[in-house]
Formats: sequence, structure tokens, C-alpha cells
Amino acid sequence: MRISSFAGASALALVLSSGAFAQEASLDLVEPIAEYKIYVSENVAKLVEDTTAFVAAVKAGEVDKAKALFAPTRVSYEAIEPIAELFSDLDVAIDSRADDYEKAEADPEFPGFHRIEYGLWEKNSTEGLEPVADKLLADVKELESRIASLTFPPEKVVGGAAVLMEEVAATKISGEEDRYSHTDLWDFRGNFDGARKIVELVRPLIADKEADFLKTVDANFDTVDTTLLKYKDGDGYVTYDKLSEDDRKVLAAAVNTLAEDLSTLRGKLGLD
Amino acid sequence: MLDPKDLRRAPRSLDRRRLLQGLGAAAIGGSLTGAARAETEHHSVADAPVANAASQLDHVPYVGVHQAGVVNPRPANGMVASFDVLARDVDELEALFRTLTARIAFLTTGGPVPMLDPKLPPPDSGLLGPVVHPDNLTVTVSLGASLFDDRPWLKALKPTHLQRMTRFPNDALDADICHGDLSLQICANTQDTTIHALRDIIKATSRQLILKWKQEGNVPVVLPGPDGRAESARNFLGFRDGSANPDSSDAAEMDRVVWVGPEDGEPAWATGGSYQAVRIIRNFVERWDRTPFGEQERIFGRAKMSGAPLDKPDGSEFDVPDYAADPEGRATPHDAHIRLANPRDAAASANTILRRPFNYSNGVTRSGQLDQGLLFICYQADLDRGFITVQRKLNGEPLEEYIKPVGGGYFFTLPGIRDAADLVGSSLIAAARGA
Ligand code: HEM
Ligand SMILES: [Cu+2]
Repeated sequence: MRISSFAGASALALVLSSGAFAQEASLDLVEPIAEYKIYVSENVAKLVEDTTAFVAAVKAGEVDKAKALFAPTRVSYEAIEPIAELFSDLDVAIDSRADDYEKAEADPEFPGFHRIEYGLWEKNSTEGLEPVADKLLADVKELESRIASLTFPPEKVVGGAAVLMEEVAATKISGEEDRYSHTDLWDFRGNFDGARKIVELVRPLIADKEADFLKTVDANFDTVDTTLLKYKDGDGYVTYDKLSEDDRKVLAAAVNTLAEDLSTLRGKLGLD
Repeated sequence: MLDPKDLRRAPRSLDRRRLLQGLGAAAIGGSLTGAARAETEHHSVADAPVANAASQLDHVPYVGVHQAGVVNPRPANGMVASFDVLARDVDELEALFRTLTARIAFLTTGGPVPMLDPKLPPPDSGLLGPVVHPDNLTVTVSLGASLFDDRPWLKALKPTHLQRMTRFPNDALDADICHGDLSLQICANTQDTTIHALRDIIKATSRQLILKWKQEGNVPVVLPGPDGRAESARNFLGFRDGSANPDSSDAAEMDRVVWVGPEDGEPAWATGGSYQAVRIIRNFVERWDRTPFGEQERIFGRAKMSGAPLDKPDGSEFDVPDYAADPEGRATPHDAHIRLANPRDAAASANTILRRPFNYSNGVTRSGQLDQGLLFICYQADLDRGFITVQRKLNGEPLEEYIKPVGGGYFFTLPGIRDAADLVGSSLIAAARGA
């Protein structure tokens, strides 16, 4: 294992040492990155819009409405998580989980979407959530403004495809993310869409050289799509507990393989 | 058979010589001289345990000015166990310390285990057979802030910097594996010996201690290099860990870095003790294994294979990086782990810590990933200037994407057990009685 990854690394070093390739690659990336910035901006605008409605429902004490808005609101956040995570203070404020706090749900520091999710589903109430909701909206708006002035680092953009798969593989595939509402399949949708978008943007740069690689990646994305499709319900998805054990395994294998494959995307594009 | 009294008197190097003779040169072949030399020349925490050189007879004296298990080289296995303490008054605390001392004395010295009427449960678990060998065992006793805070008769004696561990930004602390009134760091050549010691102590202290959590780990054994010096063992991210540790065989340096002295502003009873910071830090190893090699090296600031600092890529792990010559961070990025942890400027030497970590491998997470990481343990004379300052400098480092501190705590390692008549914690007990 260690030996083979070392061999892989020296092969990569060879690729990287041909400086011309790297140079050319980063020039070629200008357009995909500009396009990706538009994609992220659109998503964060949608996130602000949806969060505004979600927060209004929470503050009005409309539990059912807030529950209905929770999952769709998060999808645009999940799609752009690699960029949102560049601002770790905001990512913590918006999307951290009870596990991140020693007193878990009872911890006064526990903020954001999942704090509200806990109140809505576990307590069936919006009591005490008003300040949390206000803070969430403020953080989401802050995220929008920071993204607007961000120069997107190419390696973060291209690496983002793998990062999204790592997130799913490490802590989402088990249904830990939305543990009160069980709306995890919506988040998956956002994560996979976000990763696939990045692959689509760089596809023209590697289509010739990396045809086999792209074929494998596409096949795994397709597996994910067909699997998730089985659980579609209206505009969204049924709850995570309905996911069959077999399909969970299929998804897990696809995610792990996508994480493996997409982790080479940066190197393939000559990005250090 | 082994006479425990002999062992107690024998200095460690003697045991070792006996072992090497016992095995015979042929058994170890070419590595004999290397192992022997590594043993005599370097005696530092950073040194990895040498392959095939450990013996059941290896013996670390439990008596001394300082407790054993801090500046001694790490044997291959280590654990931290944390307990709640029941003691309601000084007498009960002293009784606990007395029991602990007696068990530590027996376990680290060795000897035949007592036998009772077979109609009774055996007094010893029997894990090590009829005769317990020392096997390099150390048991290091340290106290948590809660022990002092919850007891009015002890509160005024709390070490100045002792506090409950608080959350750092990248932490996801699990209350089930945090804090405690008392910690035991148990280290030995084999896992059986550490577990035997833990079970023995649990049995002997059932009225006084309640086990809260434990984490086991190990240090990979290494073969000494051609110069006889053992290279640092690797952690679960595949990097050598320990290269830049201070030399724990340098007593003056340890007095500066590790041991509380009379002028440190601590209560007098604490002289000769140390602060122990324990952190259970999960490593996301699958994700790490999918990270470009060059990025891995830049994250630490060291070459992965050799351990050399990045500004001396052809050197060894023991070469010292020259950051003054690299002000722009071209060779070693400014946010590299080693550059943040120790910028090697004039001020940084005040923050030196002695790291004594073990790798751990626990099982599988709910997401089907490996639950592996680092049982990070470090010692310092001042917790704020040591661990807390260094961790603050590391906050936000790129390594955070691959690690998650989930447990641990801060403890004060009691001064040494001076002689066979002394008790661990005797200076604290005396102070509590005097107060
Ligand atoms: C899983 C977590 C960690 C890993 C994998 C890790 C790994 C490493 C590695 C590979 C080195 C370079 C070799 C060496 O000098 O030992 C190092 C150095 C160091 N680490 Fe860590 N470390 C971790 C956590 C920490 C923590 C929590 C601290 C303290 C707050 C820390 C403090 C240091 C210091 C002080 C150095 C030496 C820097 C120097 O003097 O050049 N490390 N670590
Ligand atoms: Cu998320």
C-alpha cells in the first residue's frame, strides 16, 4: 500500500516536473474556474433566499413549514461545501453537528442548521430557536459576501470534487448528518451535484488523455444517480431510514471509488 | 527464576546487557552492536523501541525524584486510563495513593503472584502466568483539575495552571472520553503487561477509583540505522514522529522543559511534577491516503520517507530547518505543522514540550472508515506556555482537514516516589494535612 502510493507519487512527480504541462494546464483552467465561480455564486444566492424563508418560518413558530423547508434549503449549501469550508469559522457556525460539542445537543454553543433541525424534529418546537435562526441567516449572508470577493484557488476548486466525496464517505453515508430529520438523501444530492459539476467543467481539458478515467467516474456517478432515483419523492427524497441496506452498500462503494478516482484529478490537471 | 530484589537494584543497562548476552550474538546477528550502541548513546523519548531488543526483564525503577514514564524512552505499548476518584477526605486519598504505590511497586518490579484457596477468585488475573516480569512497565499517576475543584480541602492546593481541557476550534470532544480526576499512563514492552497492570490496579482500587475511559496505543518498533541510532517511528499518517523532540536524556533540558521547579510559582508540594496533556486525535487515514504526496509533505514541512526538513531534502530527520533563510516559506510553508508548532525563533524555546505519543487503531466508524489516530501525550513544566500555546499556534493548520481531536484531558503528574518507604502524592497529602 505504502509502496504503491509512493510509486504513484513518483510517477506524479514526473508529470509535474514537465513544467510546460503545468503551465498550460493552469492557463486552461481560467475559464472553468470563472464558470465555477458563477455556479457557486448562484448557489449561495439561492441559499440566502431559501434560508430567509426557512428562518422566517422558524421565527413565526411554523414548525411544519420550517420542517418542509429544511432539506431543500440545505441542498445548495451542500453543493458548494468545498468553497464554504474555506471559511472554517462560517462552516462551523452554519453546518456543525452536535458531535462537535462536548455537551452535544445540550451545548449552548451548538449552532446553525443542525441546532434548528434538532429543535424542529426532536422537540417539535421552535422554542428558543429565534436567536439561532437570526444568526444562521447572518452567517449565510456573510458567506455570500465573502465568496463574492474570493479569488478561487484552482487546486481548491479542482480538489473540491474529491473533498465532497470525502465528506460523504467519512460522515454522511451512515446517516449521521441529518440525524433528527433523516433528510440525508437530499444532502447527498447536493454533494454529488457539486462534485459532478467540477468534473464537467474540467472535462474538456482531459477528455482526450483521460478517456478511461472519465468513463469510470461517469459510471460511478451514474450508479449514484440510478440508486438515488429509486428514493425520489416529489421534488426531493424519502427519509434515510428507507434506504435499503443493499443500496447503502452500493452508494458506499461508489462514493469510496469516486473519492479514490477524483483524488487524482488535481494531479491530472498538473495542479500541485 | 528472577529475584525481584535483584532487579530493583539493577540499573536498566545491566538488565539489557544480560539480555543481550542471554540471546547470544548469533540470534541478533549484525544488529547487536547497533542495538547496544543505540541503547547506551541515546535514551530519549523520541527514540523508537528497537526491534527484537525488548526483554521481559527490562526494568524501569519506579522510585526517583520524578515519576517513571515521562523522560524514559517509550516502549512499544502505552495507554492512558482515566478515573473518577471517590476519596472524601485526606485519609481516603492517602489510602488510595498507598494502594496505588503498592501495586506500582509490585508490578514494575515483578515477582511470583500470590495464590489463594482455589475456592476463591485468584488475586491475580494470571495474564502473565505465575511470575510477573517487569517488561519495562511504568505506571505514571497524574491528577485532573476536577479532583481539586470538587474538594474544599484540596482546592487551595491545585497546581497553578491545572484546568479542565476546553474545546479548540477543530475539536469534536466526546464527553465519554474526556477529563477525569486521575489518569494512569501505563507503558510496557507488550500489551499484555499494560493490560495486566490495569486489571490489577482496577481490582485493587475498586473502592476508590471508577474507570471512566481508556485509550491504548503503540509505537512501531524500528531497526537501528547503520550508525546505531534508531530512527523515529512513524505515525499513522506515515511520517516520522518525534524527530524534533527535546533530548529527554539531557537532565538540565528536562528540568527546563518538563519538571516543575521551586521557582515556577507552583505550590511547593508540586516540585518535581509535570503537566500532562492527553489528546485522542483521530486521523482520517483514507482521506490522507488520497492526498497528493507533495501536499502531505508541505502539510508537515518534512520529507515523508526520510523525515528530513523540507529545506534540507537530502538530509536526515535530525537536521534542523533554517526558517530565517526561508522567510517566504518556499521550502517550508508558513502553515506547515512543524513551522507553526515551533517557529524556531528566540521566543519559541519557552514553548518546548516533550511529546510522548502512541498510535492507536480502534475499530471501524459508523461510516465504515478506520478509527485510527494518535494518542498524543505531552509533558511540560507549564501547561499554558507548553501544550496550550503550541496548540493555539496550530489552530487552523492545513493538517486539521485530516485530524479530529475527540478526547483527552489535562492532568498534573505527581512528583516522584522518592524511595520504597514513600508514597506517590505524599507531598500533596502532607500539604493537605498541614493546611
Ligand atoms: C494527529 C496529530 C498529530 C500528528 C500526526 C503530528 C505529527 C507530527 C510530525 C510528523 C512531526 C514532525 C516530526 C517531529 O518532530 O516529531 C511533528 C512535530 C511536532 N508536533 Fe505534531 N503531530 C500531531 C499533533 C500535534 C499536537 C496536538 C501538538 C501540540 C499541540 C504537536 C506538536 C508538535 C511539535 C512541537 C513538533 C516539533 C516541531 C519542531 O520543533 O520542529 N503535534 N508532529
Ligand atoms: Cu454538510
